[in-house]
Amino acid sequence: MTAYVIRRLLQGFFVVFVVSVVTFFIIQAGPGDPIEQMLGEGAQQMTEEDLDRIRDKWGLDDPWYEQYFSWVGNLAQGDMGISIVRVGQPVNDMIISAAPSTIKLNLFALLLSTTIAVPAGMFAALRRYSIFDSSIMVAASGGVAIPNFWAGLMLIVLLTGTLGWLPATGFDSWKHYIMPVTVLAITEMAVLARLMRGTMLEVLNQDYINTARSKGLAERTVVLRHAVRNALLPIITVIGYRSAFLLSGSVVIETIFSVPGLGRLFFQSITRADYQVVQGIVLAFTLLVVLTNIITDLLYAVIDPRIRLK
Amino acid sequence: MSRTEKFLEMLPFSAATTRREFLKRSVIMGAMIPAAGTLLTACGGDDDDGGDTGDGEATSPPAQTTRQSVPTSSSGGGGQATAAASPEATEAEADEEDAEASPTTAAAATEPASSDGEPVQGGTVIMMGHHEIASLSPDDDGPTVHWVMTTNIHNGMVELDSYYVLQPVLCESWEVNDDGTQFTFVLREGVMFHDGEAFTAEDVKYTFEYYGDPANASIAASNFLSIEYPIETPDDTTVVINLKNPNASFMAYTASQFIVPQHHHSEVGETGYKANPIGTGPFKVKDYDPASFCELEAFDDHFRGRPNLDILRENIVPEASVRKIALESGEADTSVWALLTEDNIALRDSGEFATYITSSVAVNHFPMNNERPFFQDKVVRQAMMHAIDRDQIVDELWQGLAVKATANLSPALEFYYEPDVKQYEYDPELAMSMLDEAGWVVGSDGVREKDGVKLSWTCLVITGDQARRPEAEVVQQWMLAIGLDMKIEEAPSTSTAMQKGEADMALYNWTYGGGSGEPDASNTLRSDALNNFSHYKSPEMDRLLDAGLAETDPDARKEVYSQVQKLVAEDVPFLYIKFWDWFVFFNKRVKGLPEEPQNTQYYNEAYKWWVDDQA
Repeated sequence: MTAYVIRRLLQGFFVVFVVSVVTFFIIQAGPGDPIEQMLGEGAQQMTEEDLDRIRDKWGLDDPWYEQYFSWVGNLAQGDMGISIVRVGQPVNDMIISAAPSTIKLNLFALLLSTTIAVPAGMFAALRRYSIFDSSIMVAASGGVAIPNFWAGLMLIVLLTGTLGWLPATGFDSWKHYIMPVTVLAITEMAVLARLMRGTMLEVLNQDYINTARSKGLAERTVVLRHAVRNALLPIITVIGYRSAFLLSGSVVIETIFSVPGLGRLFFQSITRADYQVVQGIVLAFTLLVVLTNIITDLLYAVIDPRIRLK
Repeated sequence: MSRTEKFLEMLPFSAATTRREFLKRSVIMGAMIPAAGTLLTACGGDDDDGGDTGDGEATSPPAQTTRQSVPTSSSGGGGQATAAASPEATEAEADEEDAEASPTTAAAATEPASSDGEPVQGGTVIMMGHHEIASLSPDDDGPTVHWVMTTNIHNGMVELDSYYVLQPVLCESWEVNDDGTQFTFVLREGVMFHDGEAFTAEDVKYTFEYYGDPANASIAASNFLSIEYPIETPDDTTVVINLKNPNASFMAYTASQFIVPQHHHSEVGETGYKANPIGTGPFKVKDYDPASFCELEAFDDHFRGRPNLDILRENIVPEASVRKIALESGEADTSVWALLTEDNIALRDSGEFATYITSSVAVNHFPMNNERPFFQDKVVRQAMMHAIDRDQIVDELWQGLAVKATANLSPALEFYYEPDVKQYEYDPELAMSMLDEAGWVVGSDGVREKDGVKLSWTCLVITGDQARRPEAEVVQQWMLAIGLDMKIEEAPSTSTAMQKGEADMALYNWTYGGGSGEPDASNTLRSDALNNFSHYKSPEMDRLLDAGLAETDPDARKEVYSQVQKLVAEDVPFLYIKFWDWFVFFNKRVKGLPEEPQNTQYYNEAYKWWVDDQA
C-alpha cells in the first residue's frame, strides 16, 4: 500500500512537471503583451526607450530560456514569481488568497450535489419507470443541458433583480454562497443522479443480490449493504474525475457571481495577458486534479476490498 | 464575460479603457477656452501673449500656454461649456429629467443642483469596477477601475474637471514665462496628508523626480521627459519647473501628476506604496482587497473640508449584466465600467437613473499598412473610404451611439476640430470609377489588380471582439462590391501586430490627438512614431506636427492642426469610421453630481457627493 502511494505520488509529480513545461512554452509562443495590459492606454504616449526600460525592469527582455530557468528555479523554491499586469503582486499571494473561495464553493457544491443526487438516483433505480424515476431523469437531463452561465444569470435576475432576496455582488456572507453553489451543483447533481441510477440498476441485477435476497435478508439490508456499496464505486471515481470540471465551472460561476476565486482570477488573467498568473493557476489546478485523483484511487482501495488485495 | 465588456476589455487601448489615456483623449480645449476667457476676465485680462481679447471666449489661449493666474477653483466650469458633441448624446440627455439645465448653466456644476437640496453628511456610495484593483499608486492609475480610487486618495497640483477645464487643486495659481519654458506654481497652504503630515513643495519635487527618473522605469516617465532638473523649491509653497523646450502638453500631462508624500513613499518604496497609499485627497483607505473591493473613508482634515460621504467603496463585479442588475436592485450606485449596449439603452430609457453620455476622442478605425503594395496607392485608400457607408455603421450597428469621423480628431474637440476637410460620401460607383481610372482593373477572379499587385489583404480583428467583428464583416462586403478582397482573421493583440508591421490591416480604436485637449498626434502620425500603425510616411505631416508642438499661440496652432486634419482626410492613412459614446449611470439617491458633464472626470469630485435615500 505504501509503495503504491509513493508510486502514485511520483507519477503525479511527473504530470505536474510536464504540465509546467508545456504551459510555459505555450504561453511564450502565444501572442499578447503583458506590458500593453499593464500600461493600459499609457503606452500611447511612450517612446521606444520607455518601453524598453519597463520591459527590462520586469525581466521581459531576457531570452526565453533564461526566463524559463529563472521561473523554474523560483518554482523549485515555491515561488511562482510576480504578476506584471498587476504591477508586481506576488502570484503566490494571489493564488493563496483566491483559493479558499473556490475550494469552499466547490466543496459545498459537491456536498449538495452528492447528498441529493445519490439518494435520488438510488430511489429512481429502485422505483424504475415510476413517476418518481421519470421526473428525476427528466430533471437530470435538464440539469445537464442547461449552461451554467445561463442558469447563473437567471438566478440573479430572479433572486436579486425581481425578488431582491439575495445580493448579486460582493462575497462576504453566507448569502453570497447560495446562488453560485446551487448553479455549480445543478450540473453535478444531474450527472451523478443519472450515473447512480444506472449503476444501481446494474448492481441490482447481479447474482450476489439474488443470493442475498434468497438468503432471506431484509430488502433494506440488501439495498444498503450489498447494492449501494457496490454502486458507489463508479460514483467515487466520477466525483474525483468531475472535480476538475467543477474547477472549470468555477471560471464561469465566479465571474458571474463576482467571487474572488481562482476561476475568476484565471479568466481575467487570460484576457489581460497576465502570463505569470496563468502559469501559476494552471499549475495549482494541475496539482489539485492530480491530488484529487490520487485520493480517489486510495478511497477506491478503501471501499473495494478486491483492489486493496492487489 | 459579456459581449460589450469582453470587447472593451480586450481592446488594449479603447476609448475609455484607462484614465491616463482618458486625460489624453479628453478635450480641454473645447470648453476650457471659454473658461480661460472667464478666468482672464476675472484676472483683468493680464495676458500679453495670449489671444485676441476681442473674441476672448473663443480665442483665449489654453491654460497650459498662457501666462495667467487662477484665483480660485470656483470659477471653473466656464460660462459656455457646451453640450456633448454627439447629437445622439445631446438628445439622450435632453430626455433625462435631471438634465433640464441648459448648456449655458454649466458653471453651476460646482454648486449643487438646486433640485438636490442641501448636502448632508454620512452615507455610503458603492461603485462597481470590472477587474481587480491591482494598485492604488498614482503610477498605475491607467485603468479606470484603479483611477476612480486613486483620484479620491490623491490630488494633483492641477486636475482636469468634467468640463475639460484644468482646475488648480494643490496649487493656488501658476505662471508661465514668455517662451513657455518655466512654470512657477504657488501651492495651497495648510494641506495635510492622511497621516497628519503637512504637504509642501518638497513633496512635489520628490514626486516629479521619482516618477521622472528613468531608473525607476515608471509608467508615467515620458510625461516628465521635457523637465530640466533639478526642480526648484525656493520655499515650502513655491515650485519652479524649467523645461528643456516649450511643451504645450505640460500642464495637462505633467502638472496634473498626483502627489505622493516624500516621507512615506521614500520609506515604503513604490511597491509598498501600491497597497498603502497616503495622499491629500478627500478619502483615505479603510479596507482594501485587490481582488474584491476597495473601501475609502472620509478624511476629516481634507483641505476642502470633510467630504459629505462617510464611505466611498468600489466592488469588483466582472460581469456586465450583473452590474446592470445590481444598479437596478440598488445594490450599487454606479458602474465605472461600461454595461452592454442594450442595457445602456434600456437604463437610459427607464428614466430611473441619472444618465451621463459623453463622447470619446479615440477614433474607431482600420489602420492599414501603407507600405504594403496594395495600400501604397492613395487612390485605393480614398476609394475605400467612398465604399464604406459610415452612416449605416453608426445608425445600425451602433444604434446611433457614436458620431461619424471626418478625420483623426473628434468633433468633441471643439476648438481644434476641422469640419471643412475632404469628404467621402458613400458612393461605390465613384469608388469603382476612381479605381478604374487609376488602372486597377478587375481580374479573372473578380479582384482588382494592377502590375501584378492584387487588392487582396487580411484584416485583423481582436479575438472575441463581438462588437467590432460585424463592423469588419460589413466593410468586407462593401469592399467586395467594388472588387476588393478583404479577409478577416482574429488575433489577440492587433495593435502590436500593426506596430511591428506584421499585419496588413486591423480594426480597433486609438487616439490620434485629442487627449487632454491636446491636438498633437506626433505619437501616431509622425513618420518615426512608435504607434504609427499605418506606417504612414509624409514629410508634410512631420513638418506640420513639429510646427504644432513648437507653436504657443492657440490660433496659430488651430491653423496647424486644421492642416493636419485636412492632410489626413486627403491621404487617408487609415480608414476612420466613428467616435463612440460612453455611458455612466448613477442611482438617483446620489446627489451633488455635475450637470451635463462632458467627460467622466467627475469621479474626482466625489467629495461633493452626498446621498438622499428619500430620492
